[in-house]
Amino acid sequence: MISAPTRARLRFAAGCHVLLLPSMVLLLTFVYLPVAWAFVKSLYRFEIGGQAEFIGLQNYIEYLTIDPPTWPSMLNMFLLTAFAVLTRLTVPLVVAKLIHSLPAERTRYLYRVGFLVPIVVPGIAVQLLWSRLIYSDYGMLSETLRFFGLGDWTRGWLSDPHTALAALMFMGFPFAGGFEILVYYAGLSAIPESVNEAAALEGCTGIRKFFRIDVPLVLSQLKLILVLTVIGGFQGFEGIFVLSQGGPGFRTMVPGLWMYYNAFSYQRMGYACAIGVVLFAIIFSLTLFNLRYFRSAEEIQGHTS
Amino acid sequence: MRSSLRPLSLLVVLAIGAWLLWPPARPENGVAGKSASTAARSVKHVIRFAPGGIYFPGTLPQGVGEPLQGLTKVVAAFEARFPDTRVEFINTPVLREFLVTQLAGGSAPDIVTVNVEDVWVDTQKNWYVPLDRYLEAPNPFVAERDPRAPGARQWWDMFRYQAISRGKKGPDGRNYCISLDMVETGIFYNQTFFAAHGLKVPGTWGEFLTLAERIRRLGKTPLAVNIDALADWGQDLLFDQIYQEILPGIDLKKDPERDAYQPAYLDPDEIAFLYRKGLFTRRDPRYVEVWRHLHELVPYITRDLITADVVRDFVNQDAIMFWSGTWLTGRLDADKGVGFKWNVFYLPPLTRKESPYAIGVPMCVIGGSGTQFEITNSAVSDTDPSLPFAERIKRSERLRRTVQLLQFICLPENTEKIVNEFPILIPNIVGVPVLPQLAPFERILERRYTSTKWAYTFDLRFNDITRRMLLLFLTNGIDLDGFLAWQDSNLRAATQNFIERKRPDFGPFEREWRRRAPVRAHYRDLPTPP
Repeated sequence: MISAPTRARLRFAAGCHVLLLPSMVLLLTFVYLPVAWAFVKSLYRFEIGGQAEFIGLQNYIEYLTIDPPTWPSMLNMFLLTAFAVLTRLTVPLVVAKLIHSLPAERTRYLYRVGFLVPIVVPGIAVQLLWSRLIYSDYGMLSETLRFFGLGDWTRGWLSDPHTALAALMFMGFPFAGGFEILVYYAGLSAIPESVNEAAALEGCTGIRKFFRIDVPLVLSQLKLILVLTVIGGFQGFEGIFVLSQGGPGFRTMVPGLWMYYNAFSYQRMGYACAIGVVLFAIIFSLTLFNLRYFRSAEEIQGHTS
Repeated sequence: MRSSLRPLSLLVVLAIGAWLLWPPARPENGVAGKSASTAARSVKHVIRFAPGGIYFPGTLPQGVGEPLQGLTKVVAAFEARFPDTRVEFINTPVLREFLVTQLAGGSAPDIVTVNVEDVWVDTQKNWYVPLDRYLEAPNPFVAERDPRAPGARQWWDMFRYQAISRGKKGPDGRNYCISLDMVETGIFYNQTFFAAHGLKVPGTWGEFLTLAERIRRLGKTPLAVNIDALADWGQDLLFDQIYQEILPGIDLKKDPERDAYQPAYLDPDEIAFLYRKGLFTRRDPRYVEVWRHLHELVPYITRDLITADVVRDFVNQDAIMFWSGTWLTGRLDADKGVGFKWNVFYLPPLTRKESPYAIGVPMCVIGGSGTQFEITNSAVSDTDPSLPFAERIKRSERLRRTVQLLQFICLPENTEKIVNEFPILIPNIVGVPVLPQLAPFERILERRYTSTKWAYTFDLRFNDITRRMLLLFLTNGIDLDGFLAWQDSNLRAATQNFIERKRPDFGPFEREWRRRAPVRAHYRDLPTPP
């Protein structure tokens, strides 16, 4: 015999399940099934429009032990991601703090809007802008050098093996991303006024307050940006595809782009699936590691109280 | 009250702004995805036609001149002739990735425009329709009005450059394309600058390098070029020069029809076989020599091999020569910034003085068939998919109409409307005049064809890696040894992949290889098989 409250609870839960079902079915169809399919197909040699042949772990063995671009592309991915983490965890936080410290709310508002507006520009447009207007033969960078009589210093910024990776890293300079600034700003705004007042009474101001009070209290935001940056850094390749296609040689190649080339340019679908599975494993492990060892302010508070 | 009027006044301002900025009416130029003729009628066949960037209706050729209308007019005439057919122009991306996925899904345009060598890679997948039976039959549009005109007996006869057109036959012995026009490459040079500084068109590779050095000392970039030209044309030209002497001993496959234009062409299966015999490896001194000579250009070429605008460099007189092709003739003619006389020469040959393996024959041609139209598996979509592809080809009414469209385009008056609308390419149909601006290229076209097209030899992965590593090599990011190590592993993987995909029979090659051993005995420095 089920009691009335339990029945009501079950009815409510059933209603929730019914409402969740369509989303879950779609998710299953368009996310989980393709991922499972990729796992299976990574064990096959097959190309678009061709026959599939089961080859076991051959694709993985080739990718991890034979294919020359594998390790250089992994290194590039880690370097690009590390640089992105460094810049996204620092510059926007400093900018957010500066805006937050402004006395007038109207000025703060104007700055927030100013930094946020570039978010609406599509990423591809920004990448093309950097490629054509800044890094090209007659781009801003080379023309500025020529203007100052330093024409010999000009080069194909994206085709020169010594500058290509750095050119990619510096795309987005001065790294004050609107999204990150907003997230940090929200974090800084959430710090209770009593904490700020207590810090002021203790004489903890300026840079000391920033490092001792602000940074620990926006750890949740830092953690969010860290996770998003790492995932984006490991998965994303569209900027590199537009700017350098992973070249010269493989100097700016990343695994995601190599996967794309193998799948759609070289038609090696099974092999591309294997690269995708390896990438999935890396991202999954790093995210778990991050969740396990990088604790937010709330978790620290909960742990110490 | 005032605040409620604010949105209204904003709307008025926006409406006035939109009215002021409304684009002026323009004549109909033909638009992507639209039919050439919009007259309402009962349509049985809709042919989707991707004519490529050069002839796409409504676009500006090379960014200058008037919007193109030639193809629109021809297709309108075809639709008038066949009221049950409508032709849609499809502006496909240049990306091969796009085409491959469309072909696999059976939703590609019925007629596409790609280099036929790209087609050869996938012929085993029944993605493209072989055109031999149509080319060997009369072109009905010619036959009905003049039974003696070229094309009335067989469609093939309409093509002016017969040998080149027939030379596009694939390694499987079938033709998958028709070539509407010819394209040619060459070195464009600033004739005024040459005259002012007493510079002369070079006669040998050595003289070319000396000329480049003199221009460099004058503070100019001698040769504006991009990596694609070097990886594709540069590699083939130097390979042909260096291997010319030994081709009789290593060209193992003969096809009289193709040999008229490509007397010693090395097909992918031959290259794969020869690679297993030690050729085209680090141990092959000739192969090393090809890349060494290509690297000799490094001090004289554009620094940025990816984003360099070679035409702009040339027009601005920052560069005195640039390596390109017929397609830029019209643009240079139309450019008011060109304040000097220009002309075209062809790269001069390597001589014994410059290389122990060169024999001084003129450089081969880089060019040939320009716009190559292929018919895809979409054209047989009116047949039962469970039937064998050959049977579908026989039964398809839609395919017949698609072929008729190409046959109609090949009528001289139609080709002239399309090809001679702007000086980009040389018409390949008998009876269509060549525009005077393209005359210098016509002479270059008389040269023999290259011994192989490395960019199309194996799969796209091979081509991509070669291009990538060559860029690194030419920007001094890797030395010759490092580059050759990459090429070695690249060729090993490519031949292996080729063998797995195409399963070639090397038996006849092995027998021919043994038979030609006495010929090869006279050659020096041949590598021994691994």
